[in-house]
Amino acid sequence: MSFFERHYFLIRKLHVISGVLPVGVFLLIHLTVNSYALVSPEVYNQRAAFMKELPFLTFMEIFLIFLPILYHGLFGLYVVYIAKNNVLKFSYSRNWAFYLQRITAVITFAFLIYHVLTTRFSGNEITYDFMSNILAKPGMLAFYIFGVVSAMYHLANGLWAFFIDLGITIGPNAQRVVAVASSIVFVVLSILSVQILLAF
Amino acid sequence: MAKQKVIVVGGGLSGLMATIKIVEQGIPVDLISLVPVKRSHSICAQGGINAALDTKGQNDSTWEHFYDTIYGGDFLANQPPVKAMCDAAPGIIHYMARAGVMFNRTPEGHLDLRLFGGVKKRRTAFAGATTGQQLLYACDEQVRRYEAKGLVTKYEGWEFLSAVIDENRICRGIVAQNLTTMEIRVFKGEAVLIATGGAGMIYGKSTNSTINTGSAASSIYQQGVPFANGEFVQIHPTGMIGDDKHRLMSEAARGEGGRIWTYKDGKPWYFLEEWYPAYGNTVPRDIAARAIYKVCVEMGLGIDGKNQVYLDLTHLDSKFLETRLGGILEIYQNFQGDDPKKVPMKIFPAIHYFMGGIHVDWKHRTEIPGLFASGECDYMYHGANRLGANSLLSALYSGTVVGPSIVEYLKNMDKTSLDVKSTVFESQLKLEEEKYRKICQMSGKENPYKLHEEMGDIMRENVGIVRYNKKLKETDEKLQEFMERYKNIGVSDNSQWTNQDIVFIRQLWNMMELARVITLGAYYRNESRGSHYKPEFDKRDDENWLKTTKAYWTEKGPRFEYEEVDISLVKPVPRVYDVDGRQGKKEAK
Amino acid sequence: MVREHIHLKIKRQNDPQSQPYWEEFKVPYRPNQNVVSILMEIRKNPVNTKGQKVAPVVWECNCLEEVCGACTMLINGTPRQACSALIDKLPDGVIVLEPLTKFPVVRDLMVDRQFMFENLKKVKAWVETDGCFDLGRPPIMNERERQFAYELSRCMTCGCCLEACPNVNSKSPFMGAQALSQVTLFNMHPIGKMNREERLEAVMGRGGIVDCGNSQNCVRVCPKHIPLEKSLAQLNKETTLHGILGWLKK
Repeated sequence: MSFFERHYFLIRKLHVISGVLPVGVFLLIHLTVNSYALVSPEVYNQRAAFMKELPFLTFMEIFLIFLPILYHGLFGLYVVYIAKNNVLKFSYSRNWAFYLQRITAVITFAFLIYHVLTTRFSGNEITYDFMSNILAKPGMLAFYIFGVVSAMYHLANGLWAFFIDLGITIGPNAQRVVAVASSIVFVVLSILSVQILLAF
Repeated sequence: MAKQKVIVVGGGLSGLMATIKIVEQGIPVDLISLVPVKRSHSICAQGGINAALDTKGQNDSTWEHFYDTIYGGDFLANQPPVKAMCDAAPGIIHYMARAGVMFNRTPEGHLDLRLFGGVKKRRTAFAGATTGQQLLYACDEQVRRYEAKGLVTKYEGWEFLSAVIDENRICRGIVAQNLTTMEIRVFKGEAVLIATGGAGMIYGKSTNSTINTGSAASSIYQQGVPFANGEFVQIHPTGMIGDDKHRLMSEAARGEGGRIWTYKDGKPWYFLEEWYPAYGNTVPRDIAARAIYKVCVEMGLGIDGKNQVYLDLTHLDSKFLETRLGGILEIYQNFQGDDPKKVPMKIFPAIHYFMGGIHVDWKHRTEIPGLFASGECDYMYHGANRLGANSLLSALYSGTVVGPSIVEYLKNMDKTSLDVKSTVFESQLKLEEEKYRKICQMSGKENPYKLHEEMGDIMRENVGIVRYNKKLKETDEKLQEFMERYKNIGVSDNSQWTNQDIVFIRQLWNMMELARVITLGAYYRNESRGSHYKPEFDKRDDENWLKTTKAYWTEKGPRFEYEEVDISLVKPVPRVYDVDGRQGKKEAK
Repeated sequence: MVREHIHLKIKRQNDPQSQPYWEEFKVPYRPNQNVVSILMEIRKNPVNTKGQKVAPVVWECNCLEEVCGACTMLINGTPRQACSALIDKLPDGVIVLEPLTKFPVVRDLMVDRQFMFENLKKVKAWVETDGCFDLGRPPIMNERERQFAYELSRCMTCGCCLEACPNVNSKSPFMGAQALSQVTLFNMHPIGKMNREERLEAVMGRGGIVDCGNSQNCVRVCPKHIPLEKSLAQLNKETTLHGILGWLKK
């Protein structure tokens, strides 16, 4: 048996968990920082600079952000690959959610790579003006909204699956309650993030 | 001595139970089955399985179970094997529960029991209303466990064609056909068990599965093994009459409080309760079926003027019904559209079970050494009428008897099938190949399925609940006419791959042979006993007919012999259900 | 609207190697028919709508009561049992019959579902009994737990759940709900529990429970309404705990 097969269970579970912790949590922190843009450009710049000054930044960036995202994303592509979607034959809402989860996975991953390369690794300092320049182009703004909303869907629906995959929500009723909660999370986060994008 | 092997034909409850018994002794089994064994007809059994477990504080005993069975069977069953079965029943249920059957439990967690027809005490263990399915699955799982260990080799999708019998009249194996590739081959074995179930398909529409053609039993009947008590065919009082089949509405519905009624003078008339006050709705099946027949056909009081009466559960609590009868409520709702919790079910008697079958001794040996039979395809445990929930028991119990019986036979063998001349196998194989080739070439005008339909119609009409000698005679003549017409069948499918047409044509002949056994057996038996009812001879006649019918195959049709019934444990008494006529509380002498 | 004819369009295939083709049949309407009884009607007179005499359609059926699972096929695209597909409840117009797509076709509507039974071996879906002799009363069992177990035990291995599952396909080794749910069942049985860990480990690898993507189509198509979402979530819990505790105990 290959390493992959021997540790498949762990690999799978880490994939599920990494989506929430640290990737999901990082996304929320990222969103929180960005939400200062709603207050004023100055506050945003101040907070962004503060993030830059965090101790062990490189270490944290590599081990809490980049590696988990790469792991979740790359293994996720395998998960996307092994599905043969059939929403047209079986158009149940959960099957649509399953399909969208995979679609948004690919979109989010692609968006993320572009986003990171053009911001964090662009060689520029991330300031309000820098972002506002990027988002001034209507096409780019639409692309960002699309990418961010996809990410929010993927996170919210992923949370629903996270609770099932770890065996926390077991009965159909509990699963339904979490499904409703995850829809609310999706809507709230989407509205918030679109507003942030529009604030630039 | 070379390694011994047993061939079990039939993957229903009895075949699987026997397989478990045999492999537990370390002897490998080749298991031949028409369908994946998990789809065998045993799954259709619904209501439950009888055993005097006495978890209801009613002082039940295996003796009473025995007496009820004999009494319900109108004293035609040999008594010692029935006694042994009833004694073994609690142990069998205990094992099945250990093996995974999710029997309903009492609040304290013990096996729950319900009431069934023809008895006064709660004696029927059950798993919802799909007890047969649950029991079959548990046996299937145990056999799969041995399959994984390499002790069982399954041949699913194979049909038994005939036994290989050597010049000393000893069975040495079988010839079977793969129904996908159409390959015909020999399976050598030291012993062969036929556990192929009933033959409801002879009646066209019945509660049986489409695989229940009785073809295997008929085949060995044609090889010289007598068929016993063929005329005793149980008609289940509560069937859902359908276009393609008659679906069973379990006797559990009556046992749990269901009431049978129809309208008389504009008011509900609970005729079973009126006619049989001692048992009411839980009279045995033959009694209930005849009563419903009388009300509909003779009195013309069927619901909407049709042959149907109500089986009513609407007065019972719906949660209670769900946990205890869920499976059958679902069937009725799926196939009829009405919710039986709200609307009474419309039912009419339907052909259900063969009390008769291959003649065996008490160790389930046929008259040919090395050839055994068990389950519905034997004739042993039910006499002239089977009590509800005794069929799952007899299927399992006969498996537990025949398994060890085969092992004992193997121990005393002088040579194995490998020592038998190869020509013995080759000649039987040639015979079957030739038969197959001939069917492939049939190019007449008759359609086998239409012919089968005609046969079923006339069998249901004349060899059902009420039998008249004139009609029986006519039916036998008609059957012979069908056998002539059979020769003019045309095959519609010329493929040599998964050809279901040819397979059915071969089964059809075997059905016709058995149909004659049933019809003539009924014709000769001039009395009324259990399921066999002749208005012209409406009394039981112990003096002349307390006998087992044995039909032997001849080219001109069945030849009948009769055998004494072993009544060494209890004396026959008149069988009545309007008052409590049982004398079962007396102990044996 | 009352039908005059029942019009069937059937995807046929002569053997596993040959190409599939479509053939149409018309049968006079009668009330209370189902798909099996129509197929039976066709074989009494196997003539297609072009008037050609053809080989009767090959399909599997057995109990006709929706308990054996044999007659499962795609009826108007939905995996279900042909016996319980009542004509009067199907929408008007042509009724389309196809073999299940997740299993190799044997001929016409008949497919080979053997791998489901093989999966039952993989997950050890049985109780390790000492033998089939009487050992006295079985262990007691809580009736409420028993009711859930009973629902799981009604799986008839028909294959609907696999047919509908997006993660069961040729690219993926996922075994599907059918075999997985049996692990939950046997792990609830008072004696079956004793081999709980073996069964859990059998479904923790590739193709096991972790390959479930929660599309929950299985629950929607299961003809026996088995609460598969609950069964599989229960299995998630058990395997997760076993994954952690099992490692800690090592």
